[in-house]
Amino acid sequence: MISKFGSKVPMQSNGAISRRGFIAGAGAAAVGWSAALAQGPQGRLRIDPNEFKPIPIAIPPFVPGGPGDADVANGISQVITNNFKRSGLFAPVDPAAFAERITNFDAPPQFASWKPLNIDGLVTGRATRQPDGRLKAEFRLWDPNKGQQVAGQQYVTAPEYWRRIAHIISDQIYTAMIGEKGYFDSRVVFVDETGPSDRRVKRLALMDQDGANVRYLTRGADLVLTPRFSPSSQEITYMEFGQGDPKVYLFNIETGQREIVGNFPGMSFSPRFSPDGQRIIMSLQQGGNSNLFVMDLRSRTTTRLTDTPAIDTSPSYSPDGSQLCFESDRGGKPQIYVMSASGGGAQRISFGEGSYSTPVWSPRGDYIAFTKQGGGQFAIGIMKTDGSGERILTSGFHNEGPTFSPNGRVLMFFRDPGGTAGPSLYTIDVSGRFEQKVPTPGYASDPAWSPLLS
Amino acid sequence: MTFSDLARFVRSRKGTVLSVALHVLVLGWGLFSFSARSMVAPPEDLVPVDVISEDNTSKAKAGALSGKKEIAKLLADKIGEKKPTEDIVGKVDPKPVTETDAAPTPQPKPEKPVEKKPDPPKPIEKQPDTPKPVAEKKPDPPKPAPAEKPKPEEKKPDAFNPDQIANVLNKDKPKQPPKPQAEAAPPEPPKHKSERKFDAEKMASLINQKDPTRQAVTGTDLNANAALGSTRGMADSNVASWSGAFQTAVRRCFGFPYNGQDADLYEADIDIPMRPDGTVAGEPKIVAVRGPSRSVAMAMAENARRAIIQCQSYSYLPKNQYESWKLIQLVFGLKDLR
Repeated sequence: MISKFGSKVPMQSNGAISRRGFIAGAGAAAVGWSAALAQGPQGRLRIDPNEFKPIPIAIPPFVPGGPGDADVANGISQVITNNFKRSGLFAPVDPAAFAERITNFDAPPQFASWKPLNIDGLVTGRATRQPDGRLKAEFRLWDPNKGQQVAGQQYVTAPEYWRRIAHIISDQIYTAMIGEKGYFDSRVVFVDETGPSDRRVKRLALMDQDGANVRYLTRGADLVLTPRFSPSSQEITYMEFGQGDPKVYLFNIETGQREIVGNFPGMSFSPRFSPDGQRIIMSLQQGGNSNLFVMDLRSRTTTRLTDTPAIDTSPSYSPDGSQLCFESDRGGKPQIYVMSASGGGAQRISFGEGSYSTPVWSPRGDYIAFTKQGGGQFAIGIMKTDGSGERILTSGFHNEGPTFSPNGRVLMFFRDPGGTAGPSLYTIDVSGRFEQKVPTPGYASDPAWSPLLS
Repeated sequence: MTFSDLARFVRSRKGTVLSVALHVLVLGWGLFSFSARSMVAPPEDLVPVDVISEDNTSKAKAGALSGKKEIAKLLADKIGEKKPTEDIVGKVDPKPVTETDAAPTPQPKPEKPVEKKPDPPKPIEKQPDTPKPVAEKKPDPPKPAPAEKPKPEEKKPDAFNPDQIANVLNKDKPKQPPKPQAEAAPPEPPKHKSERKFDAEKMASLINQKDPTRQAVTGTDLNANAALGSTRGMADSNVASWSGAFQTAVRRCFGFPYNGQDADLYEADIDIPMRPDGTVAGEPKIVAVRGPSRSVAMAMAENARRAIIQCQSYSYLPKNQYESWKLIQLVFGLKDLR
């Protein structure tokens, strides 16, 4: 019966029983038969997900260790829940559905009551103010299906850093469930914008990746642009319009010290650290052109990398430091090029319609993110490092300045709705599925993600 | 040749010209219509083909071969025959006396019923009509019927006639009582009558008549259909591939949220020991994982394992093929995730 069908199909499409058609039919039937055998107990059935499914997880409030610890205990579980929600990779279950109230951190939960929720993970924890005034936070990650503990840890810190503990716990759970490093224990530096659009005050600001703990680094007397985090130290490099030409500065977050990077005659801009944090690469204006230069922070020596009659800018290192991607209009319109970190020939990798700018190499090394302009729209997209697999993640009136999360899974960028309103920060994951607005006190632009703090 | 010559020719040979013209017309029409048709590519028939194991096919075929002949008719017969049997049981008592007398005459008839086998279905179609009146009759006089013995006796000759003229006469309602006999005869005519032949004694024939009629209707007929199992029997073994259903189910539960571009490189081999009731016996075993990052591959494997557990139970797995899914070997991947 089956083999008949198998041979019938190609024969019908041929219209006549030609010899070739018959052979093809027999061949198809044979293939069908072998497929039937492959379905048997000998072969492994292949199963691929047909949709991207966030991991369902339950995070009941942490148990307060003492009478005064309820707020912190609640806060920690709130921050974790919020992190997971924003990530798009986890689906925290509504607390209203919780069947059990966790009151004892040391006893295993009643797994049977959690099973109906079909969750993959259950997070329990406890926050205790110790006699020495420090905060002890503990957590356990359970697999309710197996009834086993998957991960567990305790941290002791000053009470005011409780949010950071929540982020660290989030990262631990992320790693246990997804298998790779998280990005929650990280910060973002950005340009805070206040005031009317014609007299906008721009200040450097620092915040946690979830928008909490905003701190201003400059007073706003001078215009600042393109801040970038050092991958290895508490330093930021940025461009500032001072008295003379705009210059690239280096700013220490801890000490508040700042210095001009290099001593060049013209304008220097769009700086970025090398992956080892020992060098800063930037653009230097020379006449109508600009070229790429790299400065060693220890020896203070400067090396020229490009020498073209074009505007080369927005350089970004590959994570291993061996290559660079940058934007250049040497071919007419701004496009993305890749070249060796030591200079030499550059290869164009962007070939789509419109112009490409602000390329950023992912810390994982797999993608290059960019801003694409065309058709009156600004889009944020990613492509593989050879230029293939271009994927636009979001597009609209004005989106710009992508920056990768430390694990390379999420991008932050700023979006300007136009009109009198100012820009805001958004995150989107590299699949383009989950876009989230990042809460900031005012308008915000030019975000740059820090590496993981721990 | 001038135009007038042509006109004369046409006039003189109207038939030939007409014939030629018509031929040209027909051929021309055929030429264009057929050629036009040939230009249109016939839409390919997509025939859904389910992949079935050897066991399944052989079983399906066995069921179909033995069942085909009778399926349609038997299913219809069942409805019709059930009720008449009750009539027979009630009315057999009076009749045997006369039948044994008439026994010699029916002998020639065994041949006729064979010819009329195509006919019996028709009376059967009408039986749905007949049972109603019968039901009406029954409540009125269950025993008055024996009181009317003379009538059935008189009608017996009639009953034989309808056998011969079959359809036309059967349509009349008054002939309901005889029909049961006619029906009792056609389904198993040779057997009954041959039995009658062998048993010369009345008592023996009485006994024999009762038992076989009951068995025939409630026993063998029903069983025959059940054995054919055009619905149930096939459904059991026709789960084209349990693996397909299983795949779909687990696939629905499995969804590892990995968004790297190397997602398609990750794979995890997992063995699932199964119980006959379709639940997972113990923990699914992660046999091997592959991928650029072992931690991600392991996380995916754990995720798959949870999906298998949460997706339970797989009660639709065909029980009679338990051996084939006692240990289900799966390989999980992330190919469809970009």
